[in-house]
Amino acid sequence: MNIQDFLAFDPEVNSDHDMPVDLRSLDFVSSYDSHLMCPICHCPLIQPARLQCDHVFCQKCLRSAITTFHSADSEEFPCPSCRTPTSQVSTNVPRLLINMCDEIQVRCPFLAEGCQEIVPRGHVQSHVDKYCGYRPLPCPDESCDKMTRKKDLQREERCMHSYYLCTRCEQDIMEQDYEEHDKELCPSLDTTCVDCGTTIPQRELKKHIETCAEVVSPCVASKYGCTAKIRRAEIATHEQSCPLVSIGPYFESQNTRLNSLELTMRHLQQRNEIFEDGLSNIRSTLLESARASEGHRGSGRAATDGERDGQNQVDDFDDLTNSSNVFSSNATTYLLSLHESLREEVSQMSHALTDLDARASMTIMNECLRIKEDMAHTNAAVNSVRMQVQWLMNPRLHNGARAGGMRTNTSTAGTESPRSQLTSTSAPGPSQAAGPSLGPLRPRRPSDSGREGTKL
Amino acid sequence: MGSQKRIAKELTELVESPPAGITVKLADEANLYEWKVLMDGPEGSPYHKGKFQIKLVLPNEYPFKPPTVSFATKIYHPNVTNDDKGSMCLGMLRPDEWKPSSKIGAVLEFARQLLSEPMPDDAIEGRIAEQYKNDRKHFDEVARDWTRKHAS
Repeated sequence: MNIQDFLAFDPEVNSDHDMPVDLRSLDFVSSYDSHLMCPICHCPLIQPARLQCDHVFCQKCLRSAITTFHSADSEEFPCPSCRTPTSQVSTNVPRLLINMCDEIQVRCPFLAEGCQEIVPRGHVQSHVDKYCGYRPLPCPDESCDKMTRKKDLQREERCMHSYYLCTRCEQDIMEQDYEEHDKELCPSLDTTCVDCGTTIPQRELKKHIETCAEVVSPCVASKYGCTAKIRRAEIATHEQSCPLVSIGPYFESQNTRLNSLELTMRHLQQRNEIFEDGLSNIRSTLLESARASEGHRGSGRAATDGERDGQNQVDDFDDLTNSSNVFSSNATTYLLSLHESLREEVSQMSHALTDLDARASMTIMNECLRIKEDMAHTNAAVNSVRMQVQWLMNPRLHNGARAGGMRTNTSTAGTESPRSQLTSTSAPGPSQAAGPSLGPLRPRRPSDSGREGTKL
Repeated sequence: MGSQKRIAKELTELVESPPAGITVKLADEANLYEWKVLMDGPEGSPYHKGKFQIKLVLPNEYPFKPPTVSFATKIYHPNVTNDDKGSMCLGMLRPDEWKPSSKIGAVLEFARQLLSEPMPDDAIEGRIAEQYKNDRKHFDEVARDWTRKHAS
């Protein structure tokens, strides 16, 4: 059926039981297979329903899941286990599954009223409906609003809620409970002590057992091996004669000593391990260094091969190393440490060197930059001076050129000799002299004329 | 009503056979919907030897709505907000990913798994996730430091 039909169809609404049992709150006697459990309520499936994805839930759980997850406009809702969109719900579930769920043993829900019955879950409803004598029913007396157990009701057919006074324990007991109280529960009832056989009231039994002289208990030295089990009355005499009791304190002290010794042993073992590790480390480094010195010796001999003096020296060296091999531990470690410190120094030196290098190059670069800047400044100054000089020069050049032109005119007039003309032009000074000499240069710099025009 | 039954059931299950490194009890004996969880930092993670208190709140609609998990103990983790709430971002707790068949035990075990293997791609604290991805050493150091300071 589809979702809407499923939601509308609720078998629990029109059930004909006058007291439906809540199967979810039942007390399960044995553990059950987790596969029989509804993933939503974690109880064995109750009236299971199956989805298209083959997941099974209680119908009630599924109904509440659908109302939570289903949006009104869609035909589908996600399966609570795998979220597969589902539109069809089938109440047709394998009989096997239902049988297995109904077979699980549960306690009667009226355990609190006194029903000790254990029934399969499938039968619990009928047990409650028909057979359970402890099911509370309204009191037949209309004026009484209390509940009466079904079995009392069937027997007496009258109100059993009036109180009686128990003659022995002076307690108010309701009539329906009186029989049970009278036979079993009244604290004034007599019981017999299992050990001494005396009869005492029930409420004093606990106190009696603590003091009963006949109670059999093991000897206090049982942990040291005394197997005697004696009555309380005779325990004092036994303790006096039992050798294990008197030796007990000694055992105790020995035990504590043993424990503390074990502890220290463990500590020492740990320390020993650490030392052994260190020793093996030292041994391995020594072996390595010995091998290295041997190799060194071999190469030394090869280098001095043929040279007698050298050979002698090497022999001496050999002897030395041979003898020192015995004490190599001291010598090599010393050498190694020396080597190590030297290496450290060298590395420090190299560090210092690189540092210095970096610093020097830095200062050089700084100087260079400064000088470069200065040079640029000077360049600019020189340039501006040149420009000024040129500007100052320009009017004179013009004047000179004009004067020259005039002079040629006058010379063609023929009043002065060419020679006097020359002297007159050279007389005013070197700056004047530059004028005519620049004259012939002019055509070489055509841009000059343009510059003159803009400047003047 | 049905939810209470199920919650009580899950609680007894978790108390009787607790998952490794997790102890569960009610924050208040009268309230089934608020749990106090004590989680040991998993071995091999920077949270090792730390004890983290987690508050687990179940909605009234449980199991149809997901529970919320938040750290009461401060923790340096990409998937836990670094504020007073300490809410944890778990994929399976998102409303659209939650399934009524998921159990609280599974949620807690997943949370503990997240302590050993954070998911920086699903992070709530972007900065910590960034550090976890790029500077694992430093992340471990800070997480260990926080664990020592807040969770021991």
